[in-house]
Amino acid sequence: MPILVTPAIVVIVMAAGTVAGCLGALLGLGGGVFLVPFLNAALGLDFKVAAAISLVTVIATSSAVAAGTTGKNLINLRLGMLLEMASAAGGVAAAMTVTRISDVALERGFAAVAVIVAAIMLTQLERQNVIRDPNVDPGPLGGRYYDKESGAEVVYRVRRLPAALGVSFLAGNVSAAFGIGGGILKVPVLNAWCGVPMRAAAATSSLMIGVTAVASVPIQYANGYANPPLAAAAVLGVLVGSRAGLWFGGRTRSKWLKLLMAVVLLLVAVIYLKRSL
Amino acid sequence: MGRLLVTGVTVSAVLLAAGLALWLAHPSPASLWLLNAGLIVLMATPILRVLVSFAEYLRLRDWLFVGATVVVLVELALTVALANR
Repeated sequence: MPILVTPAIVVIVMAAGTVAGCLGALLGLGGGVFLVPFLNAALGLDFKVAAAISLVTVIATSSAVAAGTTGKNLINLRLGMLLEMASAAGGVAAAMTVTRISDVALERGFAAVAVIVAAIMLTQLERQNVIRDPNVDPGPLGGRYYDKESGAEVVYRVRRLPAALGVSFLAGNVSAAFGIGGGILKVPVLNAWCGVPMRAAAATSSLMIGVTAVASVPIQYANGYANPPLAAAAVLGVLVGSRAGLWFGGRTRSKWLKLLMAVVLLLVAVIYLKRSL
Repeated sequence: MGRLLVTGVTVSAVLLAAGLALWLAHPSPASLWLLNAGLIVLMATPILRVLVSFAEYLRLRDWLFVGATVVVLVELALTVALANR
């Protein structure tokens, strides 16, 4: 279906990108989880077009947020690079195979995953995963950073690396198929199972989702799904929004961040379930 | 690395903004060229970031992570190759 791109739609997409970028930066998700349902259900764009436009904004969010948090030691580069092996593989694999799966099946599966992840988040609201003694050895993959909430340097270790690699591959599949950053899966699992504090998990995921998206976007772009004016409008909106999100992020407690994330996931699940009926 | 990401995003945002402004005024081949150039710079930025990490791990002789970055680069090369098929 050809898209009639009018100036009004460009402005709406830019505004939607701003809101999505703000929420995405707050949650380490990339804004796609909000943008795809909006572009697809509200504006009536083809699902594949919505997903491709959203994935382009995920790249922009990733680079902008990662650049904005580099000085704070929150991004775990080594862990991120190991997990990118799996998430990029997942992205390429999904970009090549997703055409054979029906949209309805994908949406139902996605809704189930979102509910499960929201449930994990809700049971982990009080978990911090930080070791208060700064002399503890973080191990080969762990990290340390200055934590604003406790006002001290904190240390963490990474546990269950195979689980993190497995969920990263899945996150790569989900990223390419649904046009969302894989952070929706990785952040809760890294936080709840692998011992990575929420802020470090979100920052590391922010860096990773750019590479994950680039593992599939060129294929979608070559197929003509990333409509250039709409993608540009969404990207510019997301860049403004993610700056605002970063500003709020430094001022919100991680418990509220998790609660907000769980609510968002449940809303997304409801939207997708309704759409698949 | 932060500087590379900032530069990539800034260059791409300028190209996209200029392209979009021109396109809104009058959709022309020049505006589409700018829009596509902006998208390509955006896509190239994370790939360059992995290349920089690769060079850094190579310099440190950190072979496990040299291997990890090579795997990621091969995967990204595969996508770009499939896109240009």
